[in-house]
Amino acid sequence: MGVITVENVSRWYGNVVAVNGISMTIGPGVTGLLGPNGAGKSTLIHMMGGFLEPSAGALKIDGQDIWGHPEVYRHIGLVPERESAYDFLTGEQFILAMARLHKLPDPRGAARRAIGLVEMDYAAQRQIGTYSKGMKQRIKMASALVHDPAVLLLDEPFNGMDPRQRLQLMDLIRGMAEQGRTILFSSHILEEVERLATHIEVVVAGRHAASGDFREIRRLMTDRAHVFSLRSSDDRALAAAVIADGSATAVRVTDQGLEVEAGDFARFTRLLPRLAKESGVRLREVSPSDESLESVFSYLVEK
Amino acid sequence: MSTAIHDIGYRHYDGPRQKHGQTVRALYVHNLRTLFGLGRGGKAKVIPFALLAMMMLPALGDIAIKAVVKQPDSFPMQGYGYILNPLIAIFLAAQAPVAASREIRYRTVPLYFSRPVGPRDFVAAKFGAFTTALLLLTALPMTVMHIGFLLTRQGIVEAASQPGAFRDVSEIPTVMEATREWAFGLIGALLLALVLSSFALLVAAYMPRRGFGIAAVIALYLVSNAVVGIAQGIALTRSAYDLAGWLNLFTPFNLVYGTQVALFKADGGVIAAPPPSGTGIFFLLFCVIIVAGSLAALHARFRKAGA
Amino acid sequence: MNSTIASLTLRGMLGRRRAVLLFLLPAVLLGLSVVLAATGYDTLSTSTGVLHAFGIVVLLPLLALIVGTGVIGPEIDEGQIMYVLTKPISRASVVLTKFACAVGLVVVFAVVPVWAASAIMVGPESDVSWAFAVGALQGGVVYAAVFLALAVVSRNAVTIGLIYALVWESMIGGFVAGSRNLSIQSWALSSVDALTSATTVNIGSSATTGLILTAITVTAALTLAITKLRTLTLATAD
Repeated sequence: MGVITVENVSRWYGNVVAVNGISMTIGPGVTGLLGPNGAGKSTLIHMMGGFLEPSAGALKIDGQDIWGHPEVYRHIGLVPERESAYDFLTGEQFILAMARLHKLPDPRGAARRAIGLVEMDYAAQRQIGTYSKGMKQRIKMASALVHDPAVLLLDEPFNGMDPRQRLQLMDLIRGMAEQGRTILFSSHILEEVERLATHIEVVVAGRHAASGDFREIRRLMTDRAHVFSLRSSDDRALAAAVIADGSATAVRVTDQGLEVEAGDFARFTRLLPRLAKESGVRLREVSPSDESLESVFSYLVEK
Repeated sequence: MSTAIHDIGYRHYDGPRQKHGQTVRALYVHNLRTLFGLGRGGKAKVIPFALLAMMMLPALGDIAIKAVVKQPDSFPMQGYGYILNPLIAIFLAAQAPVAASREIRYRTVPLYFSRPVGPRDFVAAKFGAFTTALLLLTALPMTVMHIGFLLTRQGIVEAASQPGAFRDVSEIPTVMEATREWAFGLIGALLLALVLSSFALLVAAYMPRRGFGIAAVIALYLVSNAVVGIAQGIALTRSAYDLAGWLNLFTPFNLVYGTQVALFKADGGVIAAPPPSGTGIFFLLFCVIIVAGSLAALHARFRKAGA
Repeated sequence: MNSTIASLTLRGMLGRRRAVLLFLLPAVLLGLSVVLAATGYDTLSTSTGVLHAFGIVVLLPLLALIVGTGVIGPEIDEGQIMYVLTKPISRASVVLTKFACAVGLVVVFAVVPVWAASAIMVGPESDVSWAFAVGALQGGVVYAAVFLALAVVSRNAVTIGLIYALVWESMIGGFVAGSRNLSIQSWALSSVDALTSATTVNIGSSATTGLILTAITVTAALTLAITKLRTLTLATAD
């Protein structure tokens, strides 16, 4: 039901390899495709959307090959980053045309609903050429939603949107994911992905670097020490205790508290309460300071 | 946490700057390179260089005939551009949008005008570059042909001096005569380049979509040629030779070649209806008006696009 | 034939500046024919000369070029074709609908004006008018198919089409007798010749050959367009 499988897909242009042997499965829910610019995210999404033939490997939706099979478009909605809609049509004419091309039984109703979903009713009678960037994004979104697809592919969908529109779009995407749809969106803005995606796929330099929940990924990065921020009633005493114990590789005393680099995450988490109790120090705050997506991401990119 | 602005070494540039002329020259060189696809990858070079090669063919053929067969008859020098006008027209149509409408299409004109470049410099650079490109198309083959003549002349004279030769030595143009033809040909080529480029740039500047710009330039060329041709045909059957001559004004290649016939004694047999005698100066004036008018309109167009 | 695609295509073609060019060309032909008729110069030879030299040699290929490339070229260039290709519609349907639009536009802006110009000059009863109209239709159909295929295959379709029409058909096609069979213009003119008894129209190549070549070329061009569209890689997708 709306599952995209990418099977060892590569895409190269002469000597340049844009996508290098990527395999992944995108299922229901919101998946964020994350990667720096030039990592191959757009190329991958275009291949998933049937616009680019993979040089090797296959992309399938529910087992059916995407490339060369226009029937799959009943189930896929694609919002491209660069291609803009027909400037000379009004928003309503455009969405209506899209609905008709999908051979929907009630094109007008579907068009109206799609326009309402992206809150573009007020501008639907104006020509798309007069829209602002954010409005163009939203009308493209509507064109991808009009046929109620099971899979939505969004290439940098938040580009050019103001904060309010971004929140709206996030709510919309969450709502659709709750209905069981499969939504994949690409971005290089970490906050967006952190807020919205339940599952991330990280692509770096054409390779699939990591997938899953980003906190889990962090835990898997065992060759990098975890950093914790601690605030307690007596920082220096705690620092001494932590150093003495030896499970920490570095401790830094700042005026915001302690920063501890723990080589062995599991041991340290069990150790800390005991150390605090033994030194008679009350712990006020313990938080991981590098579990953000940003640190995960920069780690993966540097690798 | 105090607020401060940090000195990270930003400096205002106070040093020597180049003169204004350098800016215009840089724009000119850039536009000229773009017209021949230099600096833009292989595909952009194909059409301009292919057309240039096709323009060279008659000149090369002429040299070959002179060297091998030793015949003094040559491909017309002053009429070179006129005879090959379809090729020049294609170059004109294909490259005018490249010169005139790219910046308008992608809305980068304001970027230029926010520097010490105004519409006047911008238009001057483009006009200069396109004129140079068109001039190259005609002047290069003409010059090659002339050099070929100079090199083979001795051989032709010798062949004609043989008893039983088909031609008399006196029929072979002297170096003086041929060089004069070549010089007039160059002036004609310059005039043609000026008239064509100003007009084509104007048309292309109003058609930002590349395909339609090409079509518009070609449409004007073909339609004006056809209508004038038909009108001249009818006039000639009614023996209205003067009227037929005046009609040359309304299509660009005939306009310029007519001027050449009237002012530089180009071969009137090449076109259907040579202009009436004594009208050369009027034809020239018409050329000037077209160039000036087109440039003025082009200036206005770019000023609007850069607003 | 998909009416939505047709509507999108026609709306795109008939917007503002492009429409000016489409109206301008036949207007010149009609204007010319009115002037000739009014001033009494519309003899049979002049009229057929005008219809040949302007109608078939200039108006028809130019209009077919603008229309044939215009129904699909700009959409491919700007990537909007994506909105049509990401629908469960066969590529054949897309190409054939656009081809039908192109032919329709050629009929309105070239064939009908040619017929009208001829009617103005030599009168509607003369077989010259119908002959030229049919020839224009035949030529227009082939030109449209070839230029449409060209637009799918190359981004320089207009220039290549121009080189064909101006260099090949006028310069070479006129001089080398055998190459007449490779010139769309001469196929159209051979049909005109066959349909009219007017002695001023005399082409010298067989109309049947022209018709066969027409059918073959149209089929080949449309098949090429459909095949290429299936594997189209958008320029913006790289």
